[in-house]
Amino acid sequence: MALKEDIFWVKCPGCGGKFYCDRELRHNREIPLRCPFCQRRFFTHESSEIFE
Amino acid sequence: MGKDLRDFLEKLKELEPVIEIDREVRPASFEVTGILRKLEERALFPLVVFKNPLNLKNEPSPFYVISNVFATRERCALALDLPSDKANFDLSLRYAQRTKNFLKPIIVKKEDAPVKEVVVKGEDLDLRNYPIVRHHEMDPAPYIDMVVCFRDRSGSFYNTSFQRNMYKGPKKLGLFMATRHNWEICRTYEIHGEAAPVIIIIGHHPAFYLGSLNIQPYGVDDYGIIGGVMDEPLSLVASETWGEDFLVPAEAEVVIEGEVVPRIREAEAPFGEWPGYYGPQRLSHVIEVKAVTHRKEAFWQDVFVSHRENWVLGGIPKEGEIFEAVKAYVPTVKSVHFPFSGNCRLFCYISLDKQEDGDARQAALIALSTCDFIKYVIVVDGDVNPFNEGEVLWAVATRCQPQEDIDVIKWVKSSPLDPSLPGHSEGSKMIIDATMPKRRAFAKRTMVPEEVLKKIRLEDYIDEKLLPRLPKYFDSLRSL
Repeated sequence: MALKEDIFWVKCPGCGGKFYCDRELRHNREIPLRCPFCQRRFFTHESSEIFE
Repeated sequence: MGKDLRDFLEKLKELEPVIEIDREVRPASFEVTGILRKLEERALFPLVVFKNPLNLKNEPSPFYVISNVFATRERCALALDLPSDKANFDLSLRYAQRTKNFLKPIIVKKEDAPVKEVVVKGEDLDLRNYPIVRHHEMDPAPYIDMVVCFRDRSGSFYNTSFQRNMYKGPKKLGLFMATRHNWEICRTYEIHGEAAPVIIIIGHHPAFYLGSLNIQPYGVDDYGIIGGVMDEPLSLVASETWGEDFLVPAEAEVVIEGEVVPRIREAEAPFGEWPGYYGPQRLSHVIEVKAVTHRKEAFWQDVFVSHRENWVLGGIPKEGEIFEAVKAYVPTVKSVHFPFSGNCRLFCYISLDKQEDGDARQAALIALSTCDFIKYVIVVDGDVNPFNEGEVLWAVATRCQPQEDIDVIKWVKSSPLDPSLPGHSEGSKMIIDATMPKRRAFAKRTMVPEEVLKKIRLEDYIDEKLLPRLPKYFDSLRSL
């Protein structure tokens, strides 16, 4: 069985801070992510950098 | 009056210094955890009381922040009425023994409940008035990390568990729950479209919190188990929000009452957790806060999560309970320990006087089935002390042949907070049998004759003033 990565890193489009999220949030279009550094709410498709 | 945090502090002060910091601190700006971390760097783990913390509005707060209560096993021993020299396995056994002593709680009147000295609800309610602690740099907000309690929908039992609550607004908290008992209770409300009543208990006697960590089956009333661990019935009082339909601990310092909103999830975390890593941002439940009740000049208790007190809390309740479970099938088991190296959760060391080769794996399998946190079980012979990690690793090095003595079990439910998990909450487990085989001849451990050791006093041979000054070059973990 192939191993599944559980998290992805994302860059905040506001402050540029990088943090990571559970896979369940990767393609979520209803509930925004929340940057832990500047509190901005955004969706993953708004981020310029996703590392998974 | 029942046992409370203040009684414990008075007893503790007779035994060791309690650090009281008068200088103003900003808990929400990492200053509490910064001070605790600086102490930790010096291998110091005192109980610390911050007497002048600011609240989330950066205003002076009438609360005292208290942390590191559980940072040493010796303090946990005191909580369960044991002396400090009984803080290792005696403490684990005391815990297991007390969890069997179910004590029905008693209900007191509001005027006899210290937690009702101040009642805040309605327009006056604002979580920014409290000194909530922000712990690590990637935490998105201050967090409450104490015990959360639910009552099941049928009203037949209460369940308690340490869970994290993210500050989200003046009347709003996040709640992360692993898929265990509290999560299951919440789910039963949610499938009926109902809000789940919930309370958060901030500050109580440490035996209350140790009791809340019991690993009894789903449906056992934790208030009764907590009473057993405290060695006196837990005092309860009617809540502000639900009256006698939801009873809250009367001797607590602070109780937050709220409701988990059904079918709503929001982004919560990252949050620095017990493995020493941040758990990822994820979808978590949301609590609408309805009331806060507290004592005057209450202690706002916080656990320095991801650090030593978080680890100690994880180990003690499991050690005694796993010992009892193993003993039912392997009666020669001697001791069980969850060492700091595995954050008191991921490594489990078991010692036993093996009668048959199968005893070691039997014991390991029972431990794994009793506690899903465990990732590695190392079973050693009775001559090896599980509380001495150097000895345990020596046994692995010299009594274990990997091709014969190590087993891996794949895709088993594990703690979702373990960052190495390949799946969401499934991982693998390893059993290391580091016991000497019975099925074939095996070498004997070197020993200076015991009768000679008993006769020798070093002070008869070496100047006793010189002895304490000798540099200790040996590995302090190992006492072979």
